[in-house]
Amino acid sequence: MKPRTAVPILLGLLVLAFLASLAFGELRLSFGQVIGALAGRGDDIARTVVRDFRLPRALVGMAAGAALGASGVVMQAFFRNPLASPGLLGVSSGGALGAVAVLALAPATGFAAATLWALPVASILGAFGATGAVLMLAQRGAGTERLLLSGVALNALLGAGTSFLLTTTAGHFEVNAQILFWLMGGLESRSWEHVWMGVPTILVTCLLLLPLGRAMDLLSLGEQSAQSLGVDVRRLRRQLIVLSTILTALATAVGGIIGFVGLVVPHILRIAFGPDHRRLLPYSMLGGAAFLLACDLVTRTFPLGLRLGVVTSLIGGPFFLWLLRRPR
Amino acid sequence: MTIALHASGLSVPGRLEAVSLDLGPGELVAMVGPNGAGKSTLIQALAGLLPAHGTVQWNGQALSHIPMAERGRLLAWVGQEAHFEFAFPVREVVAQGRYAWGDDCSGVAEAMTELDLTFLADRPATRLSGGERHRVGLARALATQAPIQLWDEPVAQLDVRHALEVMRLARRLADQGGIVVVSLHDLRAAYRFDRVLVLDRGRLVGNGPPHEVLTAGLIRQVFRVEATFVESLVPELPGD
Repeated sequence: MKPRTAVPILLGLLVLAFLASLAFGELRLSFGQVIGALAGRGDDIARTVVRDFRLPRALVGMAAGAALGASGVVMQAFFRNPLASPGLLGVSSGGALGAVAVLALAPATGFAAATLWALPVASILGAFGATGAVLMLAQRGAGTERLLLSGVALNALLGAGTSFLLTTTAGHFEVNAQILFWLMGGLESRSWEHVWMGVPTILVTCLLLLPLGRAMDLLSLGEQSAQSLGVDVRRLRRQLIVLSTILTALATAVGGIIGFVGLVVPHILRIAFGPDHRRLLPYSMLGGAAFLLACDLVTRTFPLGLRLGVVTSLIGGPFFLWLLRRPR
Repeated sequence: MTIALHASGLSVPGRLEAVSLDLGPGELVAMVGPNGAGKSTLIQALAGLLPAHGTVQWNGQALSHIPMAERGRLLAWVGQEAHFEFAFPVREVVAQGRYAWGDDCSGVAEAMTELDLTFLADRPATRLSGGERHRVGLARALATQAPIQLWDEPVAQLDVRHALEVMRLARRLADQGGIVVVSLHDLRAAYRFDRVLVLDRGRLVGNGPPHEVLTAGLIRQVFRVEATFVESLVPELPGD
């Protein structure tokens, strides 16, 4: 497909998903009512539902989707591997452990009331702690392979910690359910607090990422060749790690663990519009936002209690398998 | 500014030991040595792609004082292995050679013509043969228009005609006042260069004109083969 068509298509999908996620739910509204409510017209109930409940949820979903899409592109260029994903360096599993620790300790410390802020903050701390640990462990030279393997090891370690906390809280059904819900991602009852927590920083980080696209093109075809062509590879790698960690950490903090978005979205867009990172980055932000909103709509429409992370993986898993089988 | 490549006491622990050399404008330099002698390591150290002890100077300037973008304009490096993980079209890979020049695309088409890649311009780089990938790497280096070119085994995977064309290109770049260093295994080809560097177990054991350096004695000592100087089949480009 022509790159020219990408922005209209992706923007169209995003607007559609956005309006749909404001319109669908227990109270079914028409697009006209939604737009009216956004503009401050219409009846009180519609206004409250749209502006206090669905709008923050949609904004958080869009931001998390854009963050994961962009972070996936960054990791894939960084590791020169189209199968790399945002969680590769332990960011998500570190965030998970942080959040689960808060949830597990909440009943013991009477902490529950504070979890609105404590949860995301602990998640962000866990995420940065994990990435910091990977970078430190892999330090000397910090070769790509070493970084990757350190990430794999740390992911296993953090996952074990999360599982441990999950089993120790098995007696507290409510806590246990909360943890499970969080581990499977979700956007329900996201409030304006969550919007302020995540959206502005994600937006700024995405904007900071955009000018790095050209250098990422060169990096994605080889570290040494990129450096010999004039890219400051050490600096670029540092910037990419920091920015993608911020994005993944914040997405995890406001939405829980949401898998496969960062893998699937850049992949589809690369196949459709080519690997040029100056375009792939913004496309993946738009595409990630639209994809996550659409998945969130699925969780709301099917009455099975499907979790967001389950839906993204249900779509992402088969796609991943198809990618592996596809002749390259 | 005079084109010059200088190294003194260049060492990489376990791979390269105190290599010093001085190359000047117009020199076409062959680098030979057995597997594991340190050819690639020396080329990468000269290109500033590898942390090494000792000093490297390009055009009389210490490498650490040359800004990254300026490095991309002064020296081009082509690695021994060329892998492209993402499906950039050949034309765009070659155009990456203009990164340090603000992506101005000047000379990209010429570089592709030079390496016989014009007919592959729209082919994704992931769907090329080994030899074609090497030519793409060389075209990208050529597009930089850098006066110092370091090519690590550029012809190992090329067919005889493309190999001869690459050698002719190297000669022309040197004749235009550049420095071209080419590592290779073909001692007969090395014999036609201006200068030969012989590496053995990380040390520079030969540095000078081929007829002085590539003697039967040195070849026996370094490569453990007997060399005789006789008439033999020499393929050449027509009209050369």
